[in-house]
Amino acid sequence: MVELINLSWIIALLAIVTLRFVPANFKANVAAIAVVANSIVTSWLAIFALSGQIISFTFYGGEIFGDIIIRIDQLSAWFILIINFTCITGVFYGSGYLKAYDNSAKKLSLHWILFVLFQLSMVWVCMIQNGFAFLIAWEIMSLSSMMLVIFDTHNPKTLKAGINYLVQMHISVVFLTIGFIWVYFQTGSFSFDTFTTYFGSNSNIWLFLVFFVGFGLKAGFIPFHSWLPHAHPAAPSHVSGVMSGVIVKLGIYGIFRIISYLKSDYLLLGEILISISVLTGLYGILNAAVHRDFKRMLAYCTIENIGIIGIGIGIGLIGLGNNSPILYYLGFGGALLHVLNHSLFKSLLFYSAGSVYQQTHTRDMEKLGGLIKSMPRTAVIFLIGAIAIGGMPPFNGFISEFLIYSGLIQGIQLHDMTQIILMVLTFAGLSIIGGLSILAFTKTFSTIFLGTQRQPLALKPHEVSIQMLVPQYIIIVAMLSVAIFPQVYLQVIGNILSGLTKSVVIPQPTEFANYISIMRSISLYSMLLVGVIICFWGIRVLALRGKSQVVGATWGCGYTAGTSKIQYTAKSFSKSLSKTFNFIVIERKQYEELQAGEIFPKDKKYTSHYHDFFEFRFIRIATNRLIYSANYFKFIQNGRIQSYVLYGIVFIVAIFILTFFNIVP
Amino acid sequence: MLSFLLIILAATFFTGIIIRTKSIASGRKGPGIFQPIKDVIRLFKKGAVYSETSSFVFQIAPTIYFSSVFVAMLVVPFGQSKGLISFNGDFIFFAYVLGLGKFFSIIGAMDTGSSFEGMGASREALYSMFVEPAFFILMGSLALMTGHTSFQEIFSTLHLGSSITYALGVLAGVVFLMIAMIENSRMPLDDPKTHLELTMVHEVMILDNSGFDLGLILTAGYLKFAIYGAIIFNLFSGTIAYEYAIPMFIAMQIFLAFCVGMIESFMARFRMNHNAQFIVVLSSVSLLIFFGALLVSGKFI
Repeated sequence: MVELINLSWIIALLAIVTLRFVPANFKANVAAIAVVANSIVTSWLAIFALSGQIISFTFYGGEIFGDIIIRIDQLSAWFILIINFTCITGVFYGSGYLKAYDNSAKKLSLHWILFVLFQLSMVWVCMIQNGFAFLIAWEIMSLSSMMLVIFDTHNPKTLKAGINYLVQMHISVVFLTIGFIWVYFQTGSFSFDTFTTYFGSNSNIWLFLVFFVGFGLKAGFIPFHSWLPHAHPAAPSHVSGVMSGVIVKLGIYGIFRIISYLKSDYLLLGEILISISVLTGLYGILNAAVHRDFKRMLAYCTIENIGIIGIGIGIGLIGLGNNSPILYYLGFGGALLHVLNHSLFKSLLFYSAGSVYQQTHTRDMEKLGGLIKSMPRTAVIFLIGAIAIGGMPPFNGFISEFLIYSGLIQGIQLHDMTQIILMVLTFAGLSIIGGLSILAFTKTFSTIFLGTQRQPLALKPHEVSIQMLVPQYIIIVAMLSVAIFPQVYLQVIGNILSGLTKSVVIPQPTEFANYISIMRSISLYSMLLVGVIICFWGIRVLALRGKSQVVGATWGCGYTAGTSKIQYTAKSFSKSLSKTFNFIVIERKQYEELQAGEIFPKDKKYTSHYHDFFEFRFIRIATNRLIYSANYFKFIQNGRIQSYVLYGIVFIVAIFILTFFNIVP
Repeated sequence: MLSFLLIILAATFFTGIIIRTKSIASGRKGPGIFQPIKDVIRLFKKGAVYSETSSFVFQIAPTIYFSSVFVAMLVVPFGQSKGLISFNGDFIFFAYVLGLGKFFSIIGAMDTGSSFEGMGASREALYSMFVEPAFFILMGSLALMTGHTSFQEIFSTLHLGSSITYALGVLAGVVFLMIAMIENSRMPLDDPKTHLELTMVHEVMILDNSGFDLGLILTAGYLKFAIYGAIIFNLFSGTIAYEYAIPMFIAMQIFLAFCVGMIESFMARFRMNHNAQFIVVLSSVSLLIFFGALLVSGKFI
């Protein structure tokens, strides 16, 4: 087994060296081979772990690290498998997506080297159980993904998004470091196992909250979400697919990992988490419904789904606090299954959105329209993703959302009034999230793919290459496998959950087995739905046989000279929603009024943007203040070498004096 | 199985009675009760006209919309007898299957590239989003009150507790009736008989549908009314024996159709921007029911 773990980084290292030297058009293939090989190796370990054998090794990491424990338990295994699947589809899709860059070999080799490193670091984040080493893997993951985001280096907006991401990820690292050092000072070790001793003898709340901020920044809980809507649109689509599908899930992994060591205060933490999560979900989908940049819309939708996952985690925690095994299984189980489901359909949506971007070179859906005729396969793929992410049967989104809903209904039967009220409000909130996601995705799908082209494009769009389509078909097959055989996945999740918590062992309750059989019947009923649709479609075909089927102009209320400009736009589709919630989705317009005495009006421009509430109201103001106060220290960086030498001398002297007086050890 | 047959039966006369009530209230004689069904049958025999802008989405959308309503109908129970589909939490399935139908009816409307239909689609999406919490809070409170989570178990144990439950049942009935009005785009929110496209919601979405597809959409509308009527009936049916329950069901459906007709005759349509407020009020009524349920179940502190 230890050979396999070593093989994982040896493969990556070999690939990195090889990628530097192979010609440009082979780089993607080498990267694909490396990613697949690495996936096979680590998935092998993960499947072993899922079958019940926890794999554990200890490396001696020298004076600084101490003993580094590499352990693949079932929780890690679940996440490793998700990472590997998404990375494999990502690398194959990306090799088609980046075909146009075959003439810039340097850029490609850097990109694919980083991609291999990215996968390696993500998998290792799931395996390492030593705080210090974990942070290093975490940092490699953040840096490599940041470099992947700024693939399009000529665009200043992309660079800005990259820097934004970099800064926010380091705030996350600061919190994680504080958390690990805190434990280190209390227990004297960086090993994750010492969390048990820490949580056993100290208050659970504060340390958990520190870690929650750290991991929540990665996951995108509000108010820590503001990097997502910048980084996801800026990145190339296969990277955004992998980032949105997997990297934000590692934040969830971290939260799960910490939860597994918790010993008390479950109820309070569960209530905090569930409240933040409902707000995250509502906030994310509300913003997704109004934005017109379709990749930004998908990024907000990721925030929404993180909210749904968070609701599941919150239910699980409340279940732990109430000693209710069924809540624990439904909540955490729904969350874990939704992690899988979301990684599937979100990467699918990002890939198909990337196909649209590759063909049209715009992310503004108002400029598109009618693409279903030129790109029918991409349109169907996007439609399937949209239905699945809305949580509608017959796809997989419904399975995990149903688990979380069931958890909420079970929670309504609790005895404490505050918890019941919280559960009912969450229930309503989740249903609003579902309703809004219908609005958001009908808007996006119909603006991009239906109707007619709104603005002329430079090049006529075509269906993308088979190389880009096949990974998406594979994802759809995986999605259907969850939808048709949910019991398989649920049994695996049941096993993960029975070994999750370190302090108490919660055996699988019989109700959970009932729920597994309910899931099975739901998948049957979903098939029934498909059957009914096919049946009525058949009747329709029979009924229309031999009847006249005429094609005519769209009914225009008597007006026959309609153009594509009169179509309903995405903005107008969601306008009444954004007006209702104008205290959250902030709209800023720029236009010139007609002046008095302006007899011959010139061309006017009207622009309107939606701003992110937290970014606009809080983060922007805070950073402005920071920059303003930093201005006072500008004199330090004055560009004169003499002063810089002086700073050095002052520093050395200061160190000398301080050591001399024994102030610094 | 029983509910399946009875809902289809009720669907045949529900809309007819609404139209008849409206006619009589406005001093006309009005068409026969089965006229809507005759209209649909006539439509089923016709050919089709498609917009040149539209794609296959436009053609499959009505079928999927109808199928979703059809499958949702299978979930609804009748008193003691379960629906064909029944499991713990089946009302979530009910809502989400209807959501799938809504999704397709919206993108079907958007597929024509018409500004009117886009307008209707946008409103439909917004209103149905606002309705969701009312339905879910209501079902959540019923689940709290009864301790069960499937339609049939909730309804059959609803009145075993106290008599307050009947009061809550009336409130819940009103909420369900209003949900039915919103889902079918009837009067206080939308005027199905208006002549101005700008003020339509549902009617404007189906402007381009014709022949078989239009027939399917209309039939789905009739079924939806009967489905919500059946749910309202279930709120009161309890454990009545079938020989009383079936006539009561028919009477209740006729009464509801009469109510809808009267509301439509004597109420003007709201201004568009007031619709959202009206629908949110439904959620607050549901919250009232929820607190009532908390009281009944003795969990109020």
